[in-house]
Amino acid sequence: MNMTKSILMLASAGVLVVACSGGDERQVIQNKGSDTLVNVAQAWAEGYQTVDPNVIVAVSGGGSGTGIAALINGTVDIANASRAMKQKEVDLAKSSGQNPVQHIVGYDALAVFLHKDNPITQMSVEQLAEIYGENGATTTWTDLGVEVPGCQDQQIVVVSRQNNSGTYAYFREAVLGKEREFKLGTRDMHGSKDVVDIVEKTPCAIGYSGLAYANDHVNMACIGGEGDCVNPSVATASDGSYAIARPLFMYTNGEPAGAIKEYMDWIMSDTGQCVILEKGYAPAKSVTCS
Amino acid sequence: MFDATELNQKNERVEKLFRAGFGLMTVMLIIPVLIILTTLVVKGGSVVNFDFLFQSPTNGMTAGGIFPALLGTVWLVLVALLISVPLGVAAAVYLSEYAPENWFTRVINLAIINLAGVPSIVHALFGVGAFVLFFGFGTSILAASLTLAIMTLPLIIVATRESLQAVPYAFREACWNMGATRWQTIRRVVLPNAISGILTGVILEVSRTSGETAPIMFTGAAFFLPLLPQSVFDQTMALSLHLFVVSTQVPDMPEAVPYGVALVLICLVLLMNSLSIALRVYLRGRKKW
Repeated sequence: MNMTKSILMLASAGVLVVACSGGDERQVIQNKGSDTLVNVAQAWAEGYQTVDPNVIVAVSGGGSGTGIAALINGTVDIANASRAMKQKEVDLAKSSGQNPVQHIVGYDALAVFLHKDNPITQMSVEQLAEIYGENGATTTWTDLGVEVPGCQDQQIVVVSRQNNSGTYAYFREAVLGKEREFKLGTRDMHGSKDVVDIVEKTPCAIGYSGLAYANDHVNMACIGGEGDCVNPSVATASDGSYAIARPLFMYTNGEPAGAIKEYMDWIMSDTGQCVILEKGYAPAKSVTCS
Repeated sequence: MFDATELNQKNERVEKLFRAGFGLMTVMLIIPVLIILTTLVVKGGSVVNFDFLFQSPTNGMTAGGIFPALLGTVWLVLVALLISVPLGVAAAVYLSEYAPENWFTRVINLAIINLAGVPSIVHALFGVGAFVLFFGFGTSILAASLTLAIMTLPLIIVATRESLQAVPYAFREACWNMGATRWQTIRRVVLPNAISGILTGVILEVSRTSGETAPIMFTGAAFFLPLLPQSVFDQTMALSLHLFVVSTQVPDMPEAVPYGVALVLICLVLLMNSLSIALRVYLRGRKKW
């Protein structure tokens, strides 16, 4: 008796909840992929609510591979990737009737910051690896053949990021390689801006952070060999000449149309590009943000 | 009248030793629970307030609340219960009351035990293949809840079957002798007497369902979704996945937020559980033996 009653109650509660869904014209865009881009994607989705409340962007992470696989399966509208699709993946997508179209939505470019008084202007990736990497030989500025005014003992203060940051992961991948660990005893900051702030105040310090966080009170190292180094900028990031930068992609199935096109256009607009800049990445085009 | 012999005294000492030992083990079981709860309250208690519970996340999920995730978890659990409880109870009734004792029944029982041992990530992949892709539900509450329901079916079946078998056989015989059919006996005598045990299974399922992350990650839960679910075909945020996201995926997350989310998740489970415990106590009070 009781059993029947409680099951009936449960069932009717469920039906009630389901029945409450009214008619509407809202459209859901499925957006999945890269964990590097997921926070930017989330910020875009959050920001787009005020632009068009009828378009809902559902964001999921899981990694670039997850997003690309979902695009191949046809279960997402936009796949996020911090690497380009491999030819094999493009073929696979085409053979299952999808037509991936690539959009570069920004760049993950990291600048190496130095104190204003530091005479160093150019550094190679190998030198960076010796400063940041486990068992790295470089511990003082004297090792690099310079003397930094105002820095006692010439000991390098190595500024890094907390280990759950995407910036930390990409710097490690690009500078140290996949296997090598960071040196122990780095100062790990909890924000891109904090890195620049501490370098500004500490003559002994070296730090890395998103290009977007550059300001006039710190120097940025030119990365590469002596004579052929490349200064970090949106332009050198986008043409691939700057070493610590990679493009960030969104893939759509075919040329975007309708709500997806409007969303992609908004992402590439000044407002959308300022969102990615605010998250510490380089925008795909030069913008001025408030 | 009798003096305690040396043997008596020795037995007494051993008795005390074991009693104290087992008591100590029991206390040690509670310690981790207390540590977890205190940590969560101390570190996360400060962020949990009305706005945290009933607002959408803002500012890259580092501010605002968790309402979409909270509501999503309630949806997932309720829909999973709607699917698995009728299915599981029916299966248990068949296995306990109707099924003949033969090899086929034994195979089914074996299959249920094995289903209980399948890791949740395997259920997740099964859910993607079966519900998301093959049945075409897409990533939705329905697909996620079906996956959760399949995963927790063994809990319900085993709990129900055991509580059905705990009902004295004499009750059934008495009923049959009055001329009642099997179904009449089950409905009027066996099930009402077994209901408290069945609810125990439901409690276990609620706890397990609301905490699972892997099965819903690919089948229905989103990293971020500014919309509250409106039907079972919508995707949703969920507390368990949100906890994973805020603790590992979002840079510059204030430290208190993950603890706050964990605290809410535990409180939600405790709340749902205490409802069924209250119901169970009430029903047990009316038990006839």
